Amino acid sequence: MKAVGARLPRYDGVAHVTGRTQYVDDVRVPNMLWAKALRSPVHHAAITGLDTAKAEKIKGVHAIVTWQDVPKLVYGHLEALGIPADEPLLAKDDVRYKGQPIALVAAEDEETALEAVAAIDLDLEERPALFDIRKAADPDAPTIHQWGNWYPHFENEMDVRQIRKGDIDRAFDQADTIVKGVYRPAAIEHVPLEPQTALVVPEPSSRLTIYSCTQALYFSMGVVAAHLEVPLNRLKFVGGTVGGGFGGKVDTATETISALAALKSGRPVKWRWTREEEFLCSSTRAPWHMEIADAVTKDGWILGRKMLTLHDSGAYARFSPYGLTKHSFHHTGAYTIPNLHFDGYVVFTNRVPTTAMRGFGVTSVSFATELHVTRVAEVLGIDPFELRLKNANRIADTSPNGVSYTDPSTVPTILAIADAIGHELPADYRTMTRDSRAGELLPEHLVAQVGEVDH
Amino acid sequence: MPSLTVNGVAVEVESAGLHTLLHVLREELGITSPKAGCQQGGCGACTVLVDGEPRRSCLIPVAAVDGASITTVEGLGTPERLSVVQAAFHERYGSQCGFCTPGFLLATYALLERSPRAGRAEIEEALAGHVCRCTGYVKIIEAVEAALRGEVAAGTEPTEAVTA
Amino acid sequence: MARADVDLVLPASAEEAVAAFGDGAAVTVVAGGTVVMPELVAGRLRPERAILLARAGLGGITREAGRVTIGATTPISALEDGDEPLATAARHVGDPEVRAQATVGGNLCTGASADAPRGDLQAALIALGATVRSAGRGGERSEPVEDFLSASAGRLVLDVSYEDGPRQTGYAAARRPHAHHYTILAVCTARTADAVRVAVTGAGPTAIRLRAVEAAVAGGAGPAEAARRALDDVEGSLRDDALASAWYRERVLPKLVEDALAAIDGAAGA
Repeated sequence: MKAVGARLPRYDGVAHVTGRTQYVDDVRVPNMLWAKALRSPVHHAAITGLDTAKAEKIKGVHAIVTWQDVPKLVYGHLEALGIPADEPLLAKDDVRYKGQPIALVAAEDEETALEAVAAIDLDLEERPALFDIRKAADPDAPTIHQWGNWYPHFENEMDVRQIRKGDIDRAFDQADTIVKGVYRPAAIEHVPLEPQTALVVPEPSSRLTIYSCTQALYFSMGVVAAHLEVPLNRLKFVGGTVGGGFGGKVDTATETISALAALKSGRPVKWRWTREEEFLCSSTRAPWHMEIADAVTKDGWILGRKMLTLHDSGAYARFSPYGLTKHSFHHTGAYTIPNLHFDGYVVFTNRVPTTAMRGFGVTSVSFATELHVTRVAEVLGIDPFELRLKNANRIADTSPNGVSYTDPSTVPTILAIADAIGHELPADYRTMTRDSRAGELLPEHLVAQVGEVDH
Repeated sequence: MPSLTVNGVAVEVESAGLHTLLHVLREELGITSPKAGCQQGGCGACTVLVDGEPRRSCLIPVAAVDGASITTVEGLGTPERLSVVQAAFHERYGSQCGFCTPGFLLATYALLERSPRAGRAEIEEALAGHVCRCTGYVKIIEAVEAALRGEVAAGTEPTEAVTA
Repeated sequence: MARADVDLVLPASAEEAVAAFGDGAAVTVVAGGTVVMPELVAGRLRPERAILLARAGLGGITREAGRVTIGATTPISALEDGDEPLATAARHVGDPEVRAQATVGGNLCTGASADAPRGDLQAALIALGATVRSAGRGGERSEPVEDFLSASAGRLVLDVSYEDGPRQTGYAAARRPHAHHYTILAVCTARTADAVRVAVTGAGPTAIRLRAVEAAVAGGAGPAEAARRALDDVEGSLRDDALASAWYRERVLPKLVEDALAAIDGAAGA
């Protein structure tokens, strides 16, 4: 093996430092038009009027696309994973988040496109908006989604992602103390230096060449094909050069709409988002609300965990049910807790729809778990390293969703950290390993949950 | 009609005087290394050298730099002969997605020219206007320090990609 | 109006700039461009006529006849090693590249944006007792900075000047530890033999002179006591923005006033 362990130059390093790397905005094709979007100025409203006639007459405007130009207006990006479609590519009856795209103008230059956007007549009837996921179930909360205020299409049409494991009541009964905590990480913007940009070129062969900054080339190709109702071989995606993505460039937010403008105008169309659009209208990492109650013994065993998660999906589902599912599978983090009662909801709000971002679904619960374990240690008066080592995942322990751990790294990691910072540990902790505990090393409350390891 | 010298080449600018220098470089002259990261002067991805000084090209109306000498990354070096700054960023992994890199390179180049013994604080001040979302800045600062300390030579050979 | 159709004027002297500006109606002035160009590019500003001051010769700092005079197009970076509290205020604007391009005149003419306070130099200049010389309807005018700020529409700044003399100065700010972040709130103070002047940036659409605080100091109050008057002159002008809430500013301002006064306290005889 030549590459493993070697210090290799980046294959794109020379291109980066000589300014030769070609991002979508750097591609040059003749006769290109520039696109600008009409976006909802309010958080929630019915669209009572949309008239592009005046805008279309402006000199230099070549096409304006609205929902009427979209062959398949509503397509769920994760329909294959069982998440039904709920979001129109361009708004039709209503707008549910500030910045939601309503129309796209393709014109000779950006200024003309902006002028045309301003000339589109848009009539809205504002509706009350919901921003606080904790209020979604209140009797006086506005209903803001056709499915109700939270996602109802988990398996068996459940409206909650549930994990049930062991005997939670017995765990809470046996506990010496219940330790509670609430954790609420806020939304995070991806802020890639490269704003989302798409360039679509209609080819003489009637194919479309789509220069895309997507992180998920084949995935985006499928999304565009689905909305346009064309076979995949009508599309040629050119990509792979992404000016920062971090999960925010999987939404296929520019390609489809630009493609429609290219088809309608018969000319190449580039849609380059501004930094304002990136901050105001692009999808974010979701805010979360997590409530944890751990049933613990005074010598530091975590017998059981009750957890409630509210995940802020924003105005539409997108990938949120998938994110919450992963979140639920990992809701005990690096620790083995055999008795579990987890309920998670994907809640809709009138915020920008949320999306993937590094560790999607799991970073939130890792954050909450680590803070909570420290809290448990504080309440019990136990060293936080020792508490972690005691409850750490071992080989053959099972995850919340029943997957057997074959190689969990919690124990060696915590020992390495203790060593690195010079934190003293008693001998029996210093010698802990990730090996599965058996016999007298296996605490009684873990007996039932240890899985079989496939060797 | 403003005239510029761009990377040593004299050009007559046809764009309107109120177009930004960034627009002129990218759209009229086809020099795409300066990037439209924010078009508000907030990120540094559009930085070019104006008469040797690093400036935000997205904030400059081209008529205001009539007669100036503009340097972009294309004028610093080539794949066949990387400048010290470029070689340092390449060797020390000061670039990931690469979008912010041209701006950082020019700001670093200007720093090296005016203050070859700059310490850490001065480096950070000189690069204060440049945002990188990928690297966390550590490798960038290391690359700049390597360039300042003369640890990296100007490249004379193209670096070959390794194929697995 | 397309960018190409804008009537663009590049005056080659101060006189030409004043003539081109006229009474300031329907004309956009571009000095450093740091505030105006983003608005142009975003399509929020569509001037029919624009004056670029790049070659109008309105830059430069002179010290003459007991006055320091700063030309309107002097870059903010030129102030960084000069008189306080102007120097510290200047260093807090943007980053080195932006400071080298942004101008003193532009900073004087800019109010808060929707998201953040701007015009950091205004409070420092008020503290220095500076005078703005401007052209526009009715001809040339000179007035204290704080008066200019409430009537700056339709004026072309020519220069700003203040007495060149010994003074003790103070600067206290609430800032976030990022590069080129707008200043949330900053208080500038200056004590000369004649008086103590106090001004704040970030407490309103432009900088505000804190006259009630000044009066308290003139009446013999120490920093803590005078700071209790901090909110008197900003009543109703504190607001929420992207950086901080009005609530936060209301609580932090008296402390900043106290700190900035303490920096010049006990300077009598020093």
